[in-house]
Amino acid sequence: MDIVLNIKDLKTFFFTREGVAKAVNGVNLCLERSKILGLVGESGCGKSVTALSILRIVPHPGKIVSGEIFLNDVDLLKLSMEEMRQIRGNRISMIFQEPMVSLNPAFTIGNQLIEALRVHRRVTKAEARNLAIEMLRMVEIPAPERRIKEFPHQLSGGMRQRAMIAEALLLKPEILIADEPTTALDVTIQAQVLDIMYRLTQEMKTAIILITHNLGLVAEWAQYVVVLYASKVMEEGPVEAIFENAKHPYTQGLLRSIPTPTQGRRQNSEKLHEIKGVVPSLYDVPRGCTFHPRCLSCKAICSQEEPPWVTISPGHRLACWLFV
Amino acid sequence: MLKYIFKRTFYIIPSLILVAFLVFFLIHLIPGDPAHVMLGDSGTEEDVAALRKSMGLDRPLHTQFILWIGKVGRGDLGVSIYDKRPISQSIRERFPVTLTLTTLAMIISLLLALPSGVLAAVYNNTRIDYLFMLVTIFGVSIPGFWLGLMGLLLFSLHLGWFPAVGFVSIEEDFFQGLRYMILPSITLGLYMAAVVARMARSSMLEVIRLEYVTHARAKGLTEWKVIAKHALKNAFGPTLTTIGIQYGMLLGGAVVIETVFSLPGLGKYLMVAIFGRDYPVVQGCILFMSITYMLINLIVDILYVYFDPQIEYQ
Amino acid sequence: MAWKRFMEHRIGMIGLTVILFNLFLAFAAPWIATQDPLKIEPKNIASPPSKANFFGTDGLGRDIFSRVIYGSRISLIVSLLSVLAAMVPGVILGSMAGYFGRWVDIIIMRFMDAVMSFPAILLAIGIIAVRGGSLYNVVIALSVVYTPVFYRITRGSVLSLKEKAFVEAAMASGNTPSTIIARHILPNCMAPIIVQITVSLAYAIIAEASLSFLGLGAPPPAPSWGNILSDARDFMMDAPWMTVFPGIAITLSVVGFNMFGDALRDVLDPRLK
Repeated sequence: MDIVLNIKDLKTFFFTREGVAKAVNGVNLCLERSKILGLVGESGCGKSVTALSILRIVPHPGKIVSGEIFLNDVDLLKLSMEEMRQIRGNRISMIFQEPMVSLNPAFTIGNQLIEALRVHRRVTKAEARNLAIEMLRMVEIPAPERRIKEFPHQLSGGMRQRAMIAEALLLKPEILIADEPTTALDVTIQAQVLDIMYRLTQEMKTAIILITHNLGLVAEWAQYVVVLYASKVMEEGPVEAIFENAKHPYTQGLLRSIPTPTQGRRQNSEKLHEIKGVVPSLYDVPRGCTFHPRCLSCKAICSQEEPPWVTISPGHRLACWLFV
Repeated sequence: MLKYIFKRTFYIIPSLILVAFLVFFLIHLIPGDPAHVMLGDSGTEEDVAALRKSMGLDRPLHTQFILWIGKVGRGDLGVSIYDKRPISQSIRERFPVTLTLTTLAMIISLLLALPSGVLAAVYNNTRIDYLFMLVTIFGVSIPGFWLGLMGLLLFSLHLGWFPAVGFVSIEEDFFQGLRYMILPSITLGLYMAAVVARMARSSMLEVIRLEYVTHARAKGLTEWKVIAKHALKNAFGPTLTTIGIQYGMLLGGAVVIETVFSLPGLGKYLMVAIFGRDYPVVQGCILFMSITYMLINLIVDILYVYFDPQIEYQ
Repeated sequence: MAWKRFMEHRIGMIGLTVILFNLFLAFAAPWIATQDPLKIEPKNIASPPSKANFFGTDGLGRDIFSRVIYGSRISLIVSLLSVLAAMVPGVILGSMAGYFGRWVDIIIMRFMDAVMSFPAILLAIGIIAVRGGSLYNVVIALSVVYTPVFYRITRGSVLSLKEKAFVEAAMASGNTPSTIIARHILPNCMAPIIVQITVSLAYAIIAEASLSFLGLGAPPPAPSWGNILSDARDFMMDAPWMTVFPGIAITLSVVGFNMFGDALRDVLDPRLK
């Protein structure tokens, strides 16, 4: 197994006046080269903070408290700010959810792409411009020479996201972190965008961390799945194992909640499934197994001690007292 | 882009006309008969009648307005009752002083306000920020004329660093001229500095949280570049608008400051005219300064597009 | 609920204290002032601060301390009246413009734009120039100058609230526009309007003092702070105290309103922090 990114026991907390929000509390993650890993979870479970922690751009008052993040064999958390800066956008790139707000509205697309290049490579403006146009062509943006002079608000949503992808892949990074890349897009455009992302990264052998709450996306594109809940990993494994053989009550709940055409209709008494309860606040995560208050199979020990890891099959493991 | 400029320019024309009308109408707000009031007791019945005729006060209102606009359009603002000289000429002589004063005040104010506002935003909720808030609250609360008086008291009368009265044009002698202008300019600029600084800070604060700033960091840009290029350009738009509006405060404040420091500018000219009931001069000055203000804001509006390209399409 | 957060806001509390103190001084002036602010004492011209005259005396021998105390009455009354006289038409016109839109909006907007095209102090000076210098005219002038701000704020709030569901519901129930505006929309606009009131009060105090200083405000011998400072000009070299104390009074009053307004803004609209 060729591991390009290895996160060990990452803890990122937010220190606010209202208390400490433990956004990421002991997360482990292994990303294989050229593969796609789906990081799944509901809003507020810590997925985005994990991504920001990898790049060490967690906003104040957040701080990475402990852990190790190995890019190949270098611990990113031990690098100086300058060394880290050289990795950002260069060896690890990130694209964000809403390109309208993540692309700077005051600068042209070209300006931002060229900037991304020139931060890390010594190229002339003309060379950078050509490379940028080429890249825009590769993400299937028509008439790239014209687009490069336009501002983000002049492009459609799908084009903006593709421009972001172009910018992220310009430097041929080893890892691409995609934080909800299609959530803000129409369904038909989603497929297009992901398709382009997939094709390009395959060519460049870039590994992808696909962060999303959309299980359908994960099922279609990812090879490996990590399920996050309230700052901790519940279950992880190859995509087939998770979707066909999920063992953790939370994962099962998630999969059951995907609406099928026969549910929720008037004539049919089959109700939509839900996981009862609400996601806990990160300021006040439950003791023991973080999911225990909502778990139908909760045992006494679940509310007292954190469950250990249990391996079901090669690569497939979960943290649950039911399987110890 | 050109279309946008034309659009903005056309937009102010109705306001321009309305402003002109209001200034024109000012004379008719005088309780009593304007000509009579202007001449006071020194005028005979014939003098008053003659003045009324020459000012066109015996014609119907709209005719007066059109005639007046016609003259203004040709640059003829009338003649001062007091010194019988053409008003536009007096304005032309005095405006450079006011212009120098306001420009210097603007430069000083921006030099103080922008860096401190940005710094306060970047170091939000630290002691730097709290100090900033305290200083700016006082900056906004100290009356300009009093600051001027205190400045005179301390720096001119007590320490003797700057001259208290008098004026030397900057064109004639740069350094001497500057000596006479420094105190008034700083006084005038301080209030604006406080207002602009606060605007810059709040604007930066809003922007700094936005996702494109995080994205800029994720690209590997240095923090300096993130703030100075990405954040600042977006934050500057609202600040620019504030600067434009504050120019109005500068013009108004110039009237006060020129009085305090006895500078021979438009403001002083206006005040003297008010007390001398030289109403044509009052009209001319107010009209001139208001149009200047509107032009400045027009320029600000046009420049705004550079900082917020989306405006062009709204 | 908002009250509690306000209490925690130190600056706001300081501001409120200063304002209340100011109001108290104005109200209790006759008992706090040590002497008659208008009494001329030819034997005691321009004397420095002493036990009899805390702030010294002015060019006519009048006690500056008492004049400053009484001056707070003038500044507070003038600012309150002007802001009120600006707020009422501003809010009414703003709600009309925001609610009815189209022609009403365009016409009023044009007019307000024209007023806003004048630098504020110039407009005030212009109005007073033709009407004569008096506190009454100061109030009129300032109210004209401040109306557009209230208009703009109200209009903005009304426009955004108009789209909300509860307003549509009220419209559907067949209420008259004035009822809808008065009972449903306006109460929700109050926050920015209240903040603006404090800001305008702060401006108005400085404006009145500046206008009086220029000789366009309260005619002498009224003890407006601006007047006191204007009189002090002739004595700057020999009697600096005459310049210092009234200015401090103005600054402190205004600081009070600004601190209070800042705190209000933080509490009522924390986004802006």
